[in-house]
Amino acid sequence: MRLLTHNMLSSNIKGVTNGFPLLIEAVKVVEKEVDFNEDFLKNMFVKVEWKALVEASRTLGYTELPESAEASMLDSDEFLRKFHHALLELHLEDGALVCPETGRKFPVSKGIPNMLLHEDEV
Amino acid sequence: MVVITGGGGVAVCTCQYSRRLFCGGPTLSIPRTNRTVDSQPALLIGCTTSRRRITHTRTSSSSSSSGGGRRRRMTTSAAATSATETLKKGIAEFYDQSSGVWEDVWGDHMHHGFYEPASDVSLSDHRSAQIRMIEESLRFASLSDDSVQKPKSIVDVGCGIGGSSRYLAKKYGAKAQGITLSPVQAQRAQELASAQGLDANVSFQVADALNQPFPDGQFDLVWSMESGEHMPDKTKFVNELVRVAAPGGTIIVVTWCHRDLSPSEESLLPDEKNLLDKICDAYYLPAWCSTADYVKLLQSHSLEDIKSEDWSQYVAPFWPAVIKSALTWKGITSLLSSGWKTIRGALAMPLMIQGYKKGLIKFAIITCRKPAL
Repeated sequence: MRLLTHNMLSSNIKGVTNGFPLLIEAVKVVEKEVDFNEDFLKNMFVKVEWKALVEASRTLGYTELPESAEASMLDSDEFLRKFHHALLELHLEDGALVCPETGRKFPVSKGIPNMLLHEDEV
Repeated sequence: MVVITGGGGVAVCTCQYSRRLFCGGPTLSIPRTNRTVDSQPALLIGCTTSRRRITHTRTSSSSSSSGGGRRRRMTTSAAATSATETLKKGIAEFYDQSSGVWEDVWGDHMHHGFYEPASDVSLSDHRSAQIRMIEESLRFASLSDDSVQKPKSIVDVGCGIGGSSRYLAKKYGAKAQGITLSPVQAQRAQELASAQGLDANVSFQVADALNQPFPDGQFDLVWSMESGEHMPDKTKFVNELVRVAAPGGTIIVVTWCHRDLSPSEESLLPDEKNLLDKICDAYYLPAWCSTADYVKLLQSHSLEDIKSEDWSQYVAPFWPAVIKSALTWKGITSLLSSGWKTIRGALAMPLMIQGYKKGLIKFAIITCRKPAL
């Protein structure tokens, strides 16, 4: 699971008011190279929740992203490369996504998160 | 009973009621025990009327029947939840088991093709017909190809092995999320995405369409291609589709429905319900609804441009083609090595044809748009 995906997922357990962002428990993290696409990154920048991305990338062991970011930084190639790496090249292979309110763990196995709720969470 | 032998033969049904193949007698049952016929391994499958003549005992294996005894002792709401959980588990297992077989014979699109009415199609036309189904659906929804207006984020609800997700992501240069109950499908979908260099654009999760794991208003295009029929709570299903649609976003649902009821009708006729029940068992479907029901549900939200159409005439060649492919050597051997859930699904195919011929089953498209802010 890439952090681009993580940035779109939230806990939808009954009663949870803010299930985003999910915390990450990393058991196995893999780096996979992805072609650099400047336009894609610039389009994504407006949609990405930056704080969630920074937190998540730190959990996966990448500390290069700045705490906050603005559109003007997209002119910097160095910034784009760091953004690219964090968003697309870090993979959580095994571990869990954790609901920020209830602590419930959604397992991630072979890169696929299982977001199914139990009967009593619906 | 129907005998499918390791030698590739298909025998005629010897049900006590008729000698037709796939007699469609009351509830097809698949005993798990294998036997040999003429020293070839064979699977014996019988309708319940002929069951008594099969010497091995029937195991209580189908999810719908095994739930029956327990259900009567539970309260109604607990029973309903348990039935839903059983259904979801059944759906996941059905697709875990069957996806590989389907992909092997038909490729990565697990939906009907769109054909010219009364056309003569050969096996090679089906792949392009499945692509056409996607394109016709987008056209029906008046979805734009324009670079500013085209969808940038897509959710594929009930994504199978990701055929639509990958196609749409590629077509629009968008990012797509696919959700499915089947872990095997999600894994396979991701593998195929990687193999096609779409790793950055599409990702898949195991998740429930009735509780989508996304915040509100995420997606410009909410796509449900032949998954609606699996949803046990149509209201919740539609609510979630609407919730995750972005302002100005488009919702496209292509699904199996039963015929609309006339104003004087309270429900379908008994033999119509009977036929649908048999299909439900084989395909892990909850109760069916009509196209009109979907339209009514969408109307209860403030949505624009709600449209629906009956596309049954455009999909008519599909089930006969699937049956034909199942009866090839490749089809039969794939089925035999899959499992009884898949086989039972295969045996229910003539019931689908019956349903369409009676005008009971409809292939419907329903689309609408969420108002822009």
